[in-house]
Amino acid sequence: MQQSLDQRPIAAWWRKVSIAVLGESLAQSRPTLKLERILTRTGLAGRNNHCLRVRATGACLLSVMAFALAGCWTAPHADVQPKGDARLIQRAIPVVAVKEDATVQSIDVDQRVVVLNFSDGITATVKPGPRVKNFSRIRAGDKAKATVAQQLSVYVLKDGLSPGVDGKLEPVRTDAKVLKIEPAYRLLTLQYPNRQVEVLKVGLDAKLSEMEAGDAVVIETTELLALRVQK
Amino acid sequence: MNSRTAVALSSWRVGTSIGLIWALLLPVAARCQVTPGQAAQIRDGINDRIEALTVLGGDYLLGGGHYQSTGNGRSDRTVDVSKFGGSGEFSDLRQLGDLNIAWRPRVQGNMGTVEWNNLFKVPLLDGDVSHTKAFGIQFGGGARFWFTDEFSVAPTIMGMYGHTTNEYTAKSAFMVANLDEAKQVGLIDWSADTWTLRPSVDFEYKYTWDRTIITLSSDPTYFHTGSLKSSNPNINVVGDSELWNNKLDIDVPLGRMLFGHELRTGGYFERSDLFGNAREGLNTNYINEIHGRLVLDYLNELWLTQWIGLGGSYYWGSNFTGYSFGIDFYLVF
Repeated sequence: MQQSLDQRPIAAWWRKVSIAVLGESLAQSRPTLKLERILTRTGLAGRNNHCLRVRATGACLLSVMAFALAGCWTAPHADVQPKGDARLIQRAIPVVAVKEDATVQSIDVDQRVVVLNFSDGITATVKPGPRVKNFSRIRAGDKAKATVAQQLSVYVLKDGLSPGVDGKLEPVRTDAKVLKIEPAYRLLTLQYPNRQVEVLKVGLDAKLSEMEAGDAVVIETTELLALRVQK
Repeated sequence: MNSRTAVALSSWRVGTSIGLIWALLLPVAARCQVTPGQAAQIRDGINDRIEALTVLGGDYLLGGGHYQSTGNGRSDRTVDVSKFGGSGEFSDLRQLGDLNIAWRPRVQGNMGTVEWNNLFKVPLLDGDVSHTKAFGIQFGGGARFWFTDEFSVAPTIMGMYGHTTNEYTAKSAFMVANLDEAKQVGLIDWSADTWTLRPSVDFEYKYTWDRTIITLSSDPTYFHTGSLKSSNPNINVVGDSELWNNKLDIDVPLGRMLFGHELRTGGYFERSDLFGNAREGLNTNYINEIHGRLVLDYLNELWLTQWIGLGGSYYWGSNFTGYSFGIDFYLVF
């Protein structure tokens, strides 16, 4: 909703339609008479004398539509400046992410450490969890589907800065930005710098109501939960 | 895509009118002669019933389950409905040209059977059993257009194939004596293949209040049915039916975890107004359904699944009531 109403011809048109429909509803004592006549003429209302129901339902439907059409759809954008002062909204929100098309950059079997490149542009050095089998058979260059545990820290940044522990503004590395928030099912949609989008499920304690599109997200990958090498 | 199954033992009280065909059959059979007017009435009755049962089986109206009639003393009736299907949108939202409208394709499919058994208890037909079975399968699609984040419209069109058969087991002396004539006029032991065209528009308004989702939807649907072939020249289905579903759904998160998933509850009230052959064939003006559910949230955690849990519905119409309960699951693409 970055444009004003006057700059949005569709919105203005919908609003005009809405007002016209509502105006007619209010002005006429029997606004659905026309609808009934049309239905009768076309034969749709002739059978079973269901005009009364059509009249009532039609009136309700038109009213709902009139209200509903008063706005307009806008595509979500992550490249917007969120409201409020620079601050940390929440630190270390645990999530589980499934990374398709991950690449094994290197592996140290003795230290049990693997470096993975994800298609979203992030490189992570992680230790495998107890459920990762056949770790020694993984080779550098393998393409794999990786399931990883991550922790998200969400910030409102001003010029890339956020207050540190001592209150001084410090630069914050941004791995992704919030694109969309769906609190009903606790879904947080992130957009990475390469425009790739990922939907993550967050826990009940995530402060989704304080987040909005454009918030900066710092991602720390903490554990490799599963790795399926794609032959 | 969503799909709901209900495995249930339910009651279905149909009152006096479930057997339109048989109400017509009784005076006809008593005289053992069919006048042209009565034959036309019988044909209309059977044809309405075929379309109605095909819609009942092949479309989304009425959940799957086993329904039993408490009867009006003239017969024992059971209706078995099996359903599998759903509808939903897939792929990411796309902007429609330069307009502030988003859209994505929608697919719909459904298949199901309805088995309708009548065990007659009237003196003339005592012990006779009529078994009518309808199978319907439909597939189609369209698109959903979002005019706002909350309001969307989905015009769709589907095609349905239906196969309906009747088998009559005569045990009464009267029907044994008149079996051939009843078959000849197409009253019993018939089969019919039909096609149905199903255009529909779904209006949906989805509002999120705190974490609760409230969805209002209105879905006028038109059915035009024609015959492909039938076993008797008197069976020639050409008919039109309309359904108007209006639904209010509430989806409430409970904020408590169970087995690592959040518990959700909710339900809906749905009213389906029937017009045309569906109304005549099922002999009800409307079907109301009130549904409740308790489910676990699996969205973004299990492939294609939004929730899994338990649900139950109570149905009532002009002349029947019923209920069903079972597994409630909702799939998404």
